[in-house]
Amino acid sequence: MIHQEEVDYGTGQKKLGIYLLGLVSCSLLTLLSFWVVMSERLAKWEIFVIIYLSALVQFFVQLICFLRLNTQTEQGRNNVISFVFTAVILTSLFIGSLWIMWNLNYNMQH
Amino acid sequence: MHREITAVEGHYAESDSTDVFGFWLYIMTDCILFGCLFATFVVLNDGNATGPLLKNYVDLKTVLSETFFLLASNFTFCLAMLNLYHRKLLKVQAWLIVTFLLGASFIFLELREFITFAKAGFAWNINAHASSFFTLVGTHGLHVSCGLFWILIMIIQLPLIKAAHIAERRMTYLGLFWNFLDIVWVFVFTVVYLTGAM
Repeated sequence: MIHQEEVDYGTGQKKLGIYLLGLVSCSLLTLLSFWVVMSERLAKWEIFVIIYLSALVQFFVQLICFLRLNTQTEQGRNNVISFVFTAVILTSLFIGSLWIMWNLNYNMQH
Repeated sequence: MHREITAVEGHYAESDSTDVFGFWLYIMTDCILFGCLFATFVVLNDGNATGPLLKNYVDLKTVLSETFFLLASNFTFCLAMLNLYHRKLLKVQAWLIVTFLLGASFIFLELREFITFAKAGFAWNINAHASSFFTLVGTHGLHVSCGLFWILIMIIQLPLIKAAHIAERRMTYLGLFWNFLDIVWVFVFTVVYLTGAM
């Protein structure tokens, strides 16, 4: 095993085990999502809840296992702070658009 | 092989970190771009659209293979990254070629799907719903194509780069970009294809 100083740019240590964990869990969740929709056995709202929960979990698995977002180093913390800021902007943008457009749609039909 | 951190290398490491942080901020702005496109797609996909709907054309098996091609390419890129830190150049290049081929298969399937849709009557100019679909998925595809081009350049460039820290920095950029595209794809297949197919 070669030991060396690793500059990680806030992207965490490179470990095969973590990548494998990410690959396996993402594959299983993807298969679950597709299976639920393709088999059409559940009610529509149940499918909805399952695929969106699965997407959310996949999102976090990808963030932690592949992007290696972490708060261990100064740069890692900076990355997380800018990420949280982006998430706030995205939430207001997304929910705001849907809210306004659905209200508009509702009010125009009366 | 223990690398000595001299004053000069310490300086490089610091400016490299700032550069990578800048690239990370670019990725964050790209997130906002995709957020806008997703919001547009969801607004225009509320069932009030007239004309052909995605539901009647979508083939989930193709989407599933696309998903696995992209996920596998993400993983093989991580393997390339791992070998870069162990200083095994040939293995890095080999894994990058595998990553390229997997990504190219993804793009091939996506283009074939677009052409099939357009031939069957679901073209980008049919209605607002179709336009938002092609804009969102097409923008993602364009990003992946740029990533593929970048991987090709990286394969050629890596043996020419003398200083290890430059190679590591550039591969870190590419890695952030490539992983980010897979994250966006998770939302594309959930919001667009799976919800659209129901």
